[in-house]
Amino acid sequence: MNVAITPEMVGQVVISGILSGALYAMVALGLALIFGVMRVINIAHGPFLMLGAYTTVILHQSLGLNPYLTLPASMLLLFALGVFLQRTLVFRVVDAPELSSLLLTFGVSIALVNLAQLGFTSDLRSVEYITGSWPLGPFALSKSRAIAFGVAAIVSGGAFLFLGRTRLGKAIRATSQNRDVALVCGINVPRIHLVTFGLAAALAAAGGTLLSVIVAIQPEMGQIWTFKSFLVIVLGGAGNYPGALLGGVLLGLVEQLASLFLTAQLSEAVAYVLLVLVLLVRPTGLLGGRQT
Amino acid sequence: MSARGGFLAALAAAAVLLALYPVVATGYGVRAALQLFMWVALAGSWNIISGLTGYVSFGHVAFFGAGSYAAGILVVKAGWPWPVASLAGGGAAALLALVIGYPCLRLKGPYFAIAMLGLNEVLRALVSYFEGLTGGGSGLSLPTLEASVPIYYAMALTAAAVTGLTYAVITSRFGLRLMTIREDEVAAEAMGIDTARHKLYAFLLSAVGPGIAGGLAARDQGYIEPVSVFPLAMTITMIVMVLFGGKGTVWGPVLGAVVLFVFQEVVWARFIYLHQLLFGAIIVAVVLLMPRGVLGLLQIRYRLPRTI
Repeated sequence: MNVAITPEMVGQVVISGILSGALYAMVALGLALIFGVMRVINIAHGPFLMLGAYTTVILHQSLGLNPYLTLPASMLLLFALGVFLQRTLVFRVVDAPELSSLLLTFGVSIALVNLAQLGFTSDLRSVEYITGSWPLGPFALSKSRAIAFGVAAIVSGGAFLFLGRTRLGKAIRATSQNRDVALVCGINVPRIHLVTFGLAAALAAAGGTLLSVIVAIQPEMGQIWTFKSFLVIVLGGAGNYPGALLGGVLLGLVEQLASLFLTAQLSEAVAYVLLVLVLLVRPTGLLGGRQT
Repeated sequence: MSARGGFLAALAAAAVLLALYPVVATGYGVRAALQLFMWVALAGSWNIISGLTGYVSFGHVAFFGAGSYAAGILVVKAGWPWPVASLAGGGAAALLALVIGYPCLRLKGPYFAIAMLGLNEVLRALVSYFEGLTGGGSGLSLPTLEASVPIYYAMALTAAAVTGLTYAVITSRFGLRLMTIREDEVAAEAMGIDTARHKLYAFLLSAVGPGIAGGLAARDQGYIEPVSVFPLAMTITMIVMVLFGGKGTVWGPVLGAVVLFVFQEVVWARFIYLHQLLFGAIIVAVVLLMPRGVLGLLQIRYRLPRTI
């Protein structure tokens, strides 16, 4: 490292880390919901995010809509796709060994990426809607990232209110805690699975919409998000939904600090070492796993 | 002649035919057969840790890539002959398996699968980062050498060795212990099996084959780059081959590799743009329709021995 690292630079990456952390947390919350409720790791979670991003880009470029206003459209569309996939394919592997669900969702994942390549080509696309940054003391606050942070916080907050306060949300948490008891209590478990998968896809889509304003998108952008989301839920504790928020911010911070002190290329490796360490030392995550 | 004798005779005939094949084959034919052997070796190796022991490795191509780079670097930087370098590739993969397996084999179910997936991504990032040694993202070119036929024999030997190893493991007490771990690890431990050590041995055995195959493939291609030797799709292809043929069997991976490879060469080449979509559909179909594979179904229906 030839450049001296100043406290300002550290402060700046901490801010960037927290900003991207909220996005990680929201997207990972979707993966955590599916894993918590069905014990399925959805490899297609990242491609869901990619499809959400394309929904925004297409609506923005063809209809001239404000990209942030396409959020409901992209979430609804992916909610529908999620419900459809659960109804046709995923429900068949909910009780199967993990190999079946991993492979099935991987098959769905590459099919979605291939369809996106056919429909949208592999060219990089971007939404140049909001650029530049706001000054914040000695630091700079990237406008698109700050807005993404705000929206992600609102969407995640909404998801928590839904899980905590509504009947349907409580039914989802009950199913996640103990499916058999939920069934005995009269909860329609297959329907809960449908809603959960749709909701998770919608959360990924929201991430895609926000991300499309920040970076250029392409059909293969999603894969790495599946892995990052998994990392986040492992950090927070699988099945522990508030843990996903903490995990998201932590991953954002670790990545940014690693790219400052090492290089951006190694930040993935650092995140991986963190994953293995947490799994070994505290397999239930930092906030503890599901309380069942 | 007994069924077993007939089978052995057929096997010997196939071996003789394959040994004579390069005499009559075109260059394309030799290269295609060489790749088929590579898939047999990869699928058979994945079967040892995942089919027999029940630990789903979702990043097994990491060992293939590690072998490719180890052998490639030894050939380019140290001037080793390729057969020795490829064996060293197998050694490097085993070393990696030792380092990674010690912590990661404590993880259960989906956690192990994703840890292996992550390992593959990280290796790709590391190989891109250490440019001085690996050529980074622009790749590593091996000196030109026309050696398709010797590599054909080397790859055939690797595939045969992996299959023979699988047979030896399945028919041994060691293999029985691995299958006990697969069925119920807690019970296996209670019966006095040192599960940690057995899992690690199985993991090492399953890493050597891909390492050697990776070294041979690197020599055959003459050029390696991070994206081409660490593709997730390659892991999935070996998994689907094993699932299709029948996991936990000796001949399942061979059958799956042959059927899927031929299918790939004959059918997919015509649908370049839909390649991934079709592959996705095949994966979904195999998972939903035949989770036990062809040999698994035959085993149940005709009460075949588990050493098939």
